[in-house]
Amino acid sequence: MRISALRKEYPGRGGHQPVVAVDGIDVEIAEGGIVAFLGPNGAGKTTTLDIALGLVPATSGTVEVLGTTPRRAVVSGKVSAVLQTGGLLRDLSVGETVRAVAALHHADARVDDVVRRAGLERLADRKVGKCSGGEQQRLRFALALLPDPQLLILDEPTAGMDAGARREFWDTMHAETSQGRTVVFATHYLEEAQAYAPRTILIVRGRIRADSPTDQLRAMVGERTLTANLPEDGRDEALTRLRAMPGVRDVRLEGERVRIEGSASDDIALVLLSELGARDLEVSAPSLESAFFALTEEGRDA
Amino acid sequence: MNLTYLRIDLLRQVREVGNIAFIIGLPVVIYLVFGSGAEHSEEMVGRGNIQFYVMVSMAVYGASVATTSIGGMAAVELVQGWGRQLALTPMTPAAYVATKVLIALIVAAGAVAAVFVAGLLTDAQATSTTIWISAAILAWLLSGIFALFGLAVAQTFRSESSVTIASAGLVLLAFLGNLFVPLSGAILDIARFTPMYGYSGLAHWPQLHGKLIAADDETGSDPMWALILNFVAWSVIFGLISVWAVRRGRRRQ
Repeated sequence: MRISALRKEYPGRGGHQPVVAVDGIDVEIAEGGIVAFLGPNGAGKTTTLDIALGLVPATSGTVEVLGTTPRRAVVSGKVSAVLQTGGLLRDLSVGETVRAVAALHHADARVDDVVRRAGLERLADRKVGKCSGGEQQRLRFALALLPDPQLLILDEPTAGMDAGARREFWDTMHAETSQGRTVVFATHYLEEAQAYAPRTILIVRGRIRADSPTDQLRAMVGERTLTANLPEDGRDEALTRLRAMPGVRDVRLEGERVRIEGSASDDIALVLLSELGARDLEVSAPSLESAFFALTEEGRDA
Repeated sequence: MNLTYLRIDLLRQVREVGNIAFIIGLPVVIYLVFGSGAEHSEEMVGRGNIQFYVMVSMAVYGASVATTSIGGMAAVELVQGWGRQLALTPMTPAAYVATKVLIALIVAAGAVAAVFVAGLLTDAQATSTTIWISAAILAWLLSGIFALFGLAVAQTFRSESSVTIASAGLVLLAFLGNLFVPLSGAILDIARFTPMYGYSGLAHWPQLHGKLIAADDETGSDPMWALILNFVAWSVIFGLISVWAVRRGRRRQ
């Protein structure tokens, strides 16, 4: 998949400026890999994937999917997708849904196989409207497998699932991707990108802010922020002591409270409480937003 | 056209038993009350009696209710995102519309058949069997235009209640299409340009050959070309809006 200089504007309503959803994205994804599009809501991930599937036209720029246009790739069954907002018909049964879409792909022979692989055998007669969110997502996944695609696009495939359903979904996914399919998925869970994609493309406000092996993101996630009140006596010595500790990246004083960023949070906490007489200790993991922010800053420095 | 898809979707529509009973039952009831039960129902106009005329009107109305509601439900499907799912298959927007029109016509066949059977059992009369058959076929096939109407209207209003809006609009169009009471004067002049007028006139053609039935015995008639022009023009308009609607249904809602 090759995306170059992609731009998408939606017309503004009531005389407002047009909304720029995608603001110049260039990406090349080789066959056989698993790539995550990571970004907060409204970053332009879904719009980019919609264009790559031929669902909406681009304002400018080009998208080439498996050597052809997005629509042709979809028609030939080389690419398929699990859409975040792809609707299902609530009053069809699971089995009917699979058979109806299979018929459109001329893939009737694959129905049983796909139903089994998506783990839907026991749900075949159930109405779609009576299925849980996770079950409906497995159904969408089954529909995506029908044309036996080379490229599978997943738009926030686990949004709204509980942890168990999420893990189950990814287990099924993993079995499929080991067969050499290319997988591109959008997510706003850093953990998902980390667990399943060797490469992560970070999209913020319609632009690519980082495109790197996911391992490099891992360091950011392992980091914690600790804040605590330090007694006034010996504060300067305490700060010096903290700065010298292994795993500490940054130490700042904010009024009465010291703020420490680093990876060895347990050791730091122990020193703070036992040796430095700190009170009201708080430990927090960075939010995705602050991880994005840090990554963006890093990208700028590099 | 994909027959498996069509069959599954048709079955889904037919399972809505209440809806189907209403579509098929209501025109029959109106016919029995205002057609066979009315005064002068035995009187001959053109090549059939008044009762035959009311029967054709109600077949036209029933067929359009059927196709409008199927078309309207299609728009609801699209609003719910099914269009995006279909956009990931080789099915084209035109094929989707064509499939829906065909499903609508199958349900409409039931509506027309029900009214015609009621007519047969209650002394609706025409001078030949050909008139019966041609009126039934016209009332049935031309109703396809209202599948496009339902899709177009529902897609414009884009909500669950849009099918209701389309059906309410249909009652007004049926009135202007000369189906409920014979129109005359200024209303008739306006009515000639409305979407159901051509369809209605063509379905009544075997009996009346364009002649109008007016309450005040004023005689008038519509030439066939005018009725066909009305029908074709509105078909094109609704058809274009429908295909545009399906394309729009591929976006996120």
